Amino acid sequence: MKKLLALLLTLTLLLGTASALAANLTLGIYPPDTDAVAKEVHDTSYIPAFKVALPDVELVPANYIYSGETFTALAESGKVPTIFETWYTEPQKLIKNKQVADITDQLTELGWLDKINPSIRALLSDENGRVYGIPRDGYALGLMLNAEVFADAGLVDENGIPLFPKTWDELIEAGKVIKEKTGSAALCLLAQDNAGGWHFSNIAWTFGAKLQHKDEADKWQAQLNTPEVVAAMTMVQTLAKKGLLTSDPTSENWGTGFAALGTGSAAMYIAANDAVMQPTQNNGLPVDKLMMVGMPAGSDRSYSLSGGTPYMFSANATPEEIMAALKYVEIMGKAPVLTEASKAGLVADAEYRVDAGIPVIPNFPVWTDEEFNAAQAEVVAKYSNVDARMFQNYFDTVKSEGNLRMEEPMETQVMYAELTKVLQEVVTNPEANIQALLDTADANFQTVLDENINK
Amino acid sequence: MNHTGWGARPTRDGSWHRLKKDLGAWLIMLPGLALFTFFVWLPLLSAIRMSFYKTEGMRITEFVGTYNYAFILYKDPDFWRAVQNTFMYTLWSLLIGFVVPMALAVMVHETRRGKSLFRTGLYLPNIMPALATIFLWKFLFRADGSGGVNMLFQQLGFAPTSWLSNASLVIPVIVVIMTWKGAGATMLIYLAGLQSINQEIYEAAIIDGAGVWGRIKHITIPQMYNLGRTLLILQVIAVFQILYEPMVLTGGGPNNASVSLMQLVYRHAFEYGDYSKASSISVLVSLVLIALTLVYNSISRPKEV
Repeated sequence: MKKLLALLLTLTLLLGTASALAANLTLGIYPPDTDAVAKEVHDTSYIPAFKVALPDVELVPANYIYSGETFTALAESGKVPTIFETWYTEPQKLIKNKQVADITDQLTELGWLDKINPSIRALLSDENGRVYGIPRDGYALGLMLNAEVFADAGLVDENGIPLFPKTWDELIEAGKVIKEKTGSAALCLLAQDNAGGWHFSNIAWTFGAKLQHKDEADKWQAQLNTPEVVAAMTMVQTLAKKGLLTSDPTSENWGTGFAALGTGSAAMYIAANDAVMQPTQNNGLPVDKLMMVGMPAGSDRSYSLSGGTPYMFSANATPEEIMAALKYVEIMGKAPVLTEASKAGLVADAEYRVDAGIPVIPNFPVWTDEEFNAAQAEVVAKYSNVDARMFQNYFDTVKSEGNLRMEEPMETQVMYAELTKVLQEVVTNPEANIQALLDTADANFQTVLDENINK
Repeated sequence: MNHTGWGARPTRDGSWHRLKKDLGAWLIMLPGLALFTFFVWLPLLSAIRMSFYKTEGMRITEFVGTYNYAFILYKDPDFWRAVQNTFMYTLWSLLIGFVVPMALAVMVHETRRGKSLFRTGLYLPNIMPALATIFLWKFLFRADGSGGVNMLFQQLGFAPTSWLSNASLVIPVIVVIMTWKGAGATMLIYLAGLQSINQEIYEAAIIDGAGVWGRIKHITIPQMYNLGRTLLILQVIAVFQILYEPMVLTGGGPNNASVSLMQLVYRHAFEYGDYSKASSISVLVSLVLIALTLVYNSISRPKEV
C-alpha cells in the first residue's frame, strides 16, 4: 500500500513539474476567420518564427475581439486569452477589477518598460506605477473624406485633391454644396451608442470645452453644460436642421459610419488613422479615394482626440506565459526591439496592407525607441500605396503643437453615454432645448463621478 | 408495521416506501430539477445576495446593506425613466397587443373557407427567429425613403417619418412589432377557446331570436372571460420584462425614450460592469412581478358562467 502511495505521489509530482514547464499561450490577437489575408500572415510568418524561438510553448490561436459586455464573464470563468487587445479607455477599469496581469517584472527584464510612451504608460499603470499592458498602436481622430463624392460635387482643386473644410462653418458650407450636387449627406454623425459621445467630445474640444476636471479638493467635476459644449451641440443641431447628416443618425454606429463613407452615402466621417482599412478593405472605397484631414476647428482650434489599442494579459497567465506572449508581440514587429524576426514582421504587415487594399500610412510612435521608430518609418515609406497629399493635412495637424489630447480620463464611457443621449434628442428634435439637456447630462454624470470616483 | 409508540419509525418507513414508489418520477424530474437549480434558482439567490454587496467584476467584496437600492431609487438618472417606459410598453401592449389576437381569433373562427391557411399564416411570424424579426422591422421602419413603411407612406402622399427616432412614436412602434410576432400564438389559444364553446348554446340563442351582437355579448364574451383574464395578466408579466426589442431596435433611445427596466439591468451589468446595481434592479423588477402575480392569482379564480 505504501509503495502504491509513493508511486502515485511521484507520478503527481512529475506531472505537476511537466505542466509547470510547458507554457500555454492562448493567442487572443490572432485574426478572425473573416480576415483571411491577416490570418495567412500569422500562419506563414509569425507562428513559424515563434515555434522556432519557443518550441516548448503550446500556442493556441483564439481570436477574441474585446467587448465590455463579454469580458467580465470571461474573466470570472478564467477564459480570457493569455494576450488580448482592448482600448485605452478600458485598462483602468480592468486593473481596478483585478482582471489583468501585472507585467512590470517581465517588461523590466526585457528592457521595454522605459521605452513606452510616458502618457500611454500612465494609462496602463495603477496608482503604484505597476504596468499592466503595452501599446499596440495609437490613433488620433480626424476627418475622413470620400474623394469621389467631393469630385462629384466639384469641390476639388486643379490637381483633383478635395477642397476640405478647416472649420465647422466651412464644413456646413461644403456640406450644402455636396447635398445639392450629389444628394449625399455631408457628414455621418454617430448617435446610436457611446461612439456618438466619443466623437462629440472631440467636437466640443474644438469649441474650447473641457468636459471634466479635478477641483482644488481633488474631486472630479463634470463640465458637460458649459457655454462651449452648448456651442458645439448647437453646431450639431444646425447640421441636423439643414439636412446635412445621414437620414437617421440614431441608427449610425462606428461600423455603419464607415459603410456610409465607403459607399459614398456620406462625404465625411470622423475617424482615426488606425481604421483606414474600414472604408477601403471592408467597404470598397478604392485606396486612392480616401483622404484624411485634421479635425475642423470650432470657435477655439483643432484638437485631435488621441487613443489607441493596448495589449493586455489574462490575470491567470503565468510569468512564462506572459513572456511567451511578449515574444509573439516582438515577432510581429510591435515591440521596441529590432531583430531579424521583428523586421520581417514589420515587412509582412506592410505587404499584407498592400495586398488587402489598405492605405500604408505612418504610425503614431507609441514607443520611444528611436531606432525602432526609424525602422518602422522606413518600411512604411517603402510600401506606401497612397498619394501623400491625401494625408498631408492630417499628419501636419496632429503634429502641430498642442493638437493631440488624450480622452477624458474618468468614467469615460458613462460620460459618452450621457452625451449620446443629448445628441439623440438634438438630431431628432429641432426644438430641443440644448442647455436644459446638457444640464441634465451634467447632473447625471456628476452623480456617477461622486459615486465611483469622488468617494 | 408498528403503529404504536415509536412514532418516527413508521413515518421513516412511510417516507422510504413513498420514495421507492415515486423513484421513477424523481428520476424523470432529476435532469429538469438540476437544470432549474443551476440556471434559475442559484443565479436568482446569487442576484439577491449580490444586491446587498459591492462587487469587483462578479465577485462580491463588501456588504453594503440597502445602499445599492437607495442609489437606484434616488440617484440613478435612468431608473425612473425606465420605470415609466416599462409601464408605457405594458399600456400600449394592452391597447394593441391584447385586442389584436382576440380579433384575429374571432375572424379566423368565423371564416368558412381557408381557415387552416389563415391559422397557419398568422402563426408563421412566431416561428421566425426573434432577432431576424427585429432586423426585418428595423429595415422596414428606416427613417429615409428606403424604409418599406415610409415607401408606402410616400405612395399615399405623406412625408417620410423617423419612426424609431421619434420619442413619442417609438414605444407604440415597438409594441406593433412585438404584436406582429406574438399575436399568432395568442390567437391560437383564443381560437381553441372559441371552438370549445358548445354550439348548442348558439343554436338555442338563435332559436330565441338573438342577433350577432346578442350572441357575442351574452355567449362568446362570458364564455371567453376567464381565458381572456388569464392571458391578460400573463401578457402584462411578459411585457414587463421587455429587453431585446428596444435594445436592438433603438438601444433605448432616442434620449432614453424607449429604455426598459431590463435594459437598464443589462447596461449596469454588461456596459458599466456594476453587477450589484444590476442585481438590485433585477430584484426590484421581481418584486413588481411578484405583486402582479399575486394580483393574477387573486383574480384568476374562475368566474362561474
